[in-house]
Amino acid sequence: MSTAVEVTGLVKEFGGLRAVDGVSLSVPAGERRVLIGPNGAGKTTLFHCVTGTLAPTAGRVTLFGRDVTALPEHRRTALGMGRTFQISNVIAGLTCAENVVLAALGTDRRKWLLHRPVAALDDVRRAAHASLELVGLGPRAADAVRALSYGERRQLELALALTARPRVLFLDEPCAGLSPSERARISRMIDDLPRDLTLLMIEHDMDVALGLADRVTVLHRGRVILEGAPGEVQANPEVREVYFGHV
Amino acid sequence: MTTSAILQAINGTSLAALLFLVASGFTVTFGLMRVVNMAYGAYYLLGGYVGLSIVQATGSFALGIVGGGVAIVILGYVVDRFLIRYTGENHLAQVLLTVGIAFVIGDVALKIWGGDSLKVPVPVALRGAMELPGGLVYPTYRFVMIVFSLAVAGTLWLLYTRTQIGAVVRAGVDDREQVSATGINVDRLFVVVSALASFLVGMAGVVGGAFLTLYPGAEWEILIVALVVVIVGGLGSLGGAMVGALVVGWLDAYGRWLLPEFSYFVLFGPMAVLLLFRPRGIAGKEA
Amino acid sequence: MTPGRLAAAAVVLVAAVLLPQVAGPFWMGLVTQMIVFGLLALSVDLLLGHAGLFSICHGSFFAVAAYTTAILQVRHAVPTALAAPAGLVAGTLLGLVFGLAVRTRGVYFILITIAFGYVVWGMAHRWSSFTGGDNGVTNVPFPAVGGLRITSDTEYYYLALVVAGLVALGYRRLIRSPFGLALRGIKGSESRMRTLGYDSNRHLYAAFVLSAALASLAGVLYVYANRFVNPVAASFPVSVEAALMAIVGGTGTIVGPFIGSAIILGLRNWVSSFFELYAAVMGGVFIVAVLWVPEGLVGLAARLRGRAPHA
Repeated sequence: MSTAVEVTGLVKEFGGLRAVDGVSLSVPAGERRVLIGPNGAGKTTLFHCVTGTLAPTAGRVTLFGRDVTALPEHRRTALGMGRTFQISNVIAGLTCAENVVLAALGTDRRKWLLHRPVAALDDVRRAAHASLELVGLGPRAADAVRALSYGERRQLELALALTARPRVLFLDEPCAGLSPSERARISRMIDDLPRDLTLLMIEHDMDVALGLADRVTVLHRGRVILEGAPGEVQANPEVREVYFGHV
Repeated sequence: MTTSAILQAINGTSLAALLFLVASGFTVTFGLMRVVNMAYGAYYLLGGYVGLSIVQATGSFALGIVGGGVAIVILGYVVDRFLIRYTGENHLAQVLLTVGIAFVIGDVALKIWGGDSLKVPVPVALRGAMELPGGLVYPTYRFVMIVFSLAVAGTLWLLYTRTQIGAVVRAGVDDREQVSATGINVDRLFVVVSALASFLVGMAGVVGGAFLTLYPGAEWEILIVALVVVIVGGLGSLGGAMVGALVVGWLDAYGRWLLPEFSYFVLFGPMAVLLLFRPRGIAGKEA
Repeated sequence: MTPGRLAAAAVVLVAAVLLPQVAGPFWMGLVTQMIVFGLLALSVDLLLGHAGLFSICHGSFFAVAAYTTAILQVRHAVPTALAAPAGLVAGTLLGLVFGLAVRTRGVYFILITIAFGYVVWGMAHRWSSFTGGDNGVTNVPFPAVGGLRITSDTEYYYLALVVAGLVALGYRRLIRSPFGLALRGIKGSESRMRTLGYDSNRHLYAAFVLSAALASLAGVLYVYANRFVNPVAASFPVSVEAALMAIVGGTGTIVGPFIGSAIILGLRNWVSSFFELYAAVMGGVFIVAVLWVPEGLVGLAARLRGRAPHA
């Protein structure tokens, strides 16, 4: 079984602060890995370093066996990486359809076309609409992003990450700020994703996390303190202390 | 040849001295208040003209400097309070707004002081030339200006790094939420810093007007050079403004001496280099 | 295009064609200027309205193209067929160089373009042996390609109309293309676009060079319309006004920059006839436009009609 994501000795320093302090993990292809840990544990920073949004201070990142540590993030997408952001990051000023069309064209050479209208690219439009249908935003295709509710933006966020058919998906707190029913809906959507898609997810909500995960990695103060099956992690006293020990 | 080279170095330094006075206010205003004020050149010109009129009326250069500075403090306050405040952090709007203000000031100044090049009379005590070590003869006024600017720079630096107000401003330049959290009245702080910046640029107009002359169009020329200083030194950095002023002052002096027709091109050089290697300037903060 | 829009376009077209007969040489000349500066404003808007970059150096490309064409025609007797494309190429080449500025964003980008613009102005102004200094280059002949010669201002007016029309059609294609959408995507969220696989710097650089080419085209049209060029063409006010025209007329649209151009030039013409301090008035227009009409006239009109404007 091949390794989808391999992180070795990753360090990220900001000034004097080590947000990520020597993290190593290995996610086999097709696995669903959830990262948990209290606020400030370095989860999002780790994600940023692995996806290429930030350059690590030290360490190595490989994606499907390829060393991508120095590769700019837009090139990692071409290798099959997709991601969502913790704070909804959809493209303002455009419609939902335009958002997913851009996602579909991101890894397509036709994004450089100067003289043909986007409207003429039928296969792209169809793929974009399929993405929207998948996350339940079909009827909202022509609506401007600013008209969407927060929950709908989270759905769009997911659609954007999925449109280019990624091989590994990085989800940063996909359920953050959602009502219980919206939360359940997104969880189900994630659960329904194809099994050959490798998933790395940061999740704060223990129930959601443990429900979706094959394996859990626990981060605290920039380090991995435990890694194991969901049940194992939940029962571990050190994890309970880290999570519930301090408010 | 070397005497000329040294002479240009001093020229460059005297220009740097003036540029620092203009650029320091602009860069700290941006760093603290995130305001891009393209009317700074017009402030310089107007301050200079007002100072000139005061000197002509009273015979006192010192009064002229103070008057020029105060005039801009008042104008600057009015502009901040009634116009710039409505642009929030929209830099595009600020640029357009302050350019418009500069056009208005420039046109009104043209009407009042006319289109000829005017010179602020140098005080009697500072006229003529003085002899520097090495047998070099240099205009007294320009030399004194360097010393004056160093004194101002030194005072600003001390205020910035050694006083509590300075610490607050520095903290503010890094993180404005931090400042309001300390309980300091942020609005008042902004007014004070802005007033100081206005005073400096108004004063610079009088000081500069004594050797560079004042004329319609000068407001844009000084602004552009000050902008290069700020880009090179990094927006928001006082130390960067000092370094940038020296770099630009020297490049301008040597450029005008060696390649007069391409002197603007000489200004282009450091910026292009910077863009290739350090787009944020020497010491700039996040734009 | 909706029937309403089609009708409006038809009316404008008819009016434009009939203008010389109906209104006389002064108005025709003014409208020619409006077209030329409308094209310049359009070039600025490609970056501003679509890519979200506020560039204030487009007067440089405009002027370099104008000077190149003028110098070739006047001093070296190069025919229009070569001089005009040469001007276009020269301005675009400068765009390739100034495009370095896209390595920065936000306020740095604005300031750097201002500084770049000044470099060109300074050279036009000081390198008198080559550029003619403040007097510029005069006696530029009307364009003539092969057997086709322009012999009057009226004929030139029609030429300008045709060029503007063709440009508008091409521009429309460009902004509806995947590239155009990508620019708007970068404007909406550059970070998002990067994770979607777009090299935003490369896209912005391409947009910058394209807009420089368009500004250069405007410059070539300008120099044949006015039959001279001087450093004013490269000055800061020209570049800033081009941006203002786009804003007043409505950014992100095709007609907006032309409407803005008509308003600004018309206003200046009218005010300067009775008021000496018209530069101050133009300054006032800037202030008003910024504080009260941020989305421009096209946006305002659309808002009044109850929907968002689209190109």
